Amino acid sequence: MGGSRLFSCARCDTNLTNRSELISTRFTGATGRAFLFNRVVNLTYSDVQDRVMLTGRHMVRDVSCKSCDSKLGWMYEFATEDNQKYKEGRVILERALVTESDGMEDRSYNDRRQN
Amino acid sequence: MQSASNGCVQNGAPSCSNGATENGHGDGDSGITLNQTNQEIVRLIGQYLKNEGLIKTCESLMNESGCRLDHPAAAKFRQHVMDGDWCKADHDLQELRPLLGQTTNLLEMKFLLLEQKYLEYLEDGRVLDALHVLRNELTPLQHNTIRVHQLSSYMMCSSTEELHERTNWEGKVVFATFSNVTPSRLNELLNQALEFQTLRCSHHNTSQGVALHNSSLLVDHCCPKSSFPMYTVQILNDHCDEVWFCQFSPDGTKLATGSKDTNVIIWDVNPDSCTLSLRKVLEGHNYGAAYISWSPNSTHLIACGPEESPEVWLWNIDTENFLKVSQSPEDALTCCAWNKDGTKFVVGGIRGHFYQCDLEGNVLDSWEGVRVNGLWCRKDGKTVLASDTHHRIRGYIFEEVAEQQILQEDHPIMSFTVDKRDRLALLNVATQGVHLWDLKDKCLVRRYQGVTQGHFTIHSTFGGANQDFIASGSEDNQVYIWHVRNEQPIATLQGHTRTVNCVSWNPVYPHILVSVSDDCSIRVWGPKDKMPKPTVSSSNGESSNNGTWNDMVS
Repeated sequence: MGGSRLFSCARCDTNLTNRSELISTRFTGATGRAFLFNRVVNLTYSDVQDRVMLTGRHMVRDVSCKSCDSKLGWMYEFATEDNQKYKEGRVILERALVTESDGMEDRSYNDRRQN
Repeated sequence: MQSASNGCVQNGAPSCSNGATENGHGDGDSGITLNQTNQEIVRLIGQYLKNEGLIKTCESLMNESGCRLDHPAAAKFRQHVMDGDWCKADHDLQELRPLLGQTTNLLEMKFLLLEQKYLEYLEDGRVLDALHVLRNELTPLQHNTIRVHQLSSYMMCSSTEELHERTNWEGKVVFATFSNVTPSRLNELLNQALEFQTLRCSHHNTSQGVALHNSSLLVDHCCPKSSFPMYTVQILNDHCDEVWFCQFSPDGTKLATGSKDTNVIIWDVNPDSCTLSLRKVLEGHNYGAAYISWSPNSTHLIACGPEESPEVWLWNIDTENFLKVSQSPEDALTCCAWNKDGTKFVVGGIRGHFYQCDLEGNVLDSWEGVRVNGLWCRKDGKTVLASDTHHRIRGYIFEEVAEQQILQEDHPIMSFTVDKRDRLALLNVATQGVHLWDLKDKCLVRRYQGVTQGHFTIHSTFGGANQDFIASGSEDNQVYIWHVRNEQPIATLQGHTRTVNCVSWNPVYPHILVSVSDDCSIRVWGPKDKMPKPTVSSSNGESSNNGTWNDMVS
């Protein structure tokens, strides 16, 4: 997963996602501020858990780093409220558990050739 | 038992007499010098002639060619092995050396010989002799030390029976199978050739195996394209709106079609003429029938509606009794599947309803928290495969409240089906096309090319005599057919004028294929000779034999 701003596991620096997959920063997790992403890679998923959140009842799976197994956040499997359905399949990463860094610039092949 | 690498030993009864084959290689009467390959061919022909009882012809062939069926040194070696004359056999082995190629072969044979000698001593209770072989003959070879250790442990066997059991060794006879020109080698080669030709036959649509007794060797085997179901045999216009689904009954005698016009039509299949005749119109599904599933014994039918329809109808085909299975109007139940024993079924939809029901429509179990759009019951009788809104297919076991990830696509799975062996899944994936997955290895096997698959629900099918083929509808109004091993289509069938929503391949009569389309028609595809004759005007006024197929293979 490329992109200019990368999100990685804070413990082992495994790449997880990038800025273009970010949907919202206005979420709160166990450690405080959390981000909602469209797509995140290099995760392992726990079994489904039933959780009542501020926005209603959800079925979620906790997500951990595939490499070092440290907990990173959760994924929405199923939202019982219709107006929360947009979160299904999306992933929450807690701000305190990930690091943000500069990735490689997303230049096209032709740009690189000219240099 | 190990075989030698070179042509020297022949199995079976005492072979062609040495007398007739005293001549050395390339030393024949005619003065013809044959190279290695030609010598082998001549020997195979000789073996064939001998097996057919043409002994004289065989002998004169051997004389003229200067070849022999059996090398004298090899014959001698075999005789000594059979007699248990190990000393002489070992000597013979040295003689055979030039014929054996690599030195490892010689070592391997020597090892096997000593192993046999050792075991036979043990069998005869000559433990000291056996020990001698082990210590002074087998060990110094320094070959396959693990096996030597294993062999030494057999010393402890108290009886011959125990020895046979532990070694899995059948006793003295075993060495007799030591051979390399297998009996009927020529037939074996010809059978392999036929097997290969069958594999290469792109339109092979028969369950009858191709073997020597039912095919000609004079030309390569190749099924004629004209017998493949890609010619329009019949066009049916009995539905008066988009036809969304079609499915043959498991016994192959009926077809069910579902349409936006709210009707489900049951058709009788006439396998001889390759046509359908209307049996019964089942009315009543208010939302239209977008998915239909036959019970395994072909007696019941479940029909679901499109998108968020709550209506599920269960018909008994024989009594025409029907039952409306619905929990509440809030439910969305758009997909269903029968348990393999036919006593219950599962229904589900994208609002998160997922039920297991009995034949009275009672909900036995429900599963919360998954929005399903496709269902399949596996052969084990308990696992239900469901495709969901997260582009996954997962396996669910209601009884054990257990679930398991099977596969994930990057795009929505519009529909899927599973082959007879319960091993391969065929998926229509939005904007991607038709994908074949292996359910056991959980990996993507093939992406079939050509088909246009956007965001319409299009259904594909496995088909053909051995389920060697795959067919799918397409948004470019065509039906695509592939061989399961090849991603390029072998045929595209033209005739429909709008999106082809579904295809079904008759599971019992593999020469019948049916497709349904938004153009409101049902088309029956069959072999060329079932096409209506030009002189007979077709009742529906359409020209149905205008060569409406486009063969992709030149």
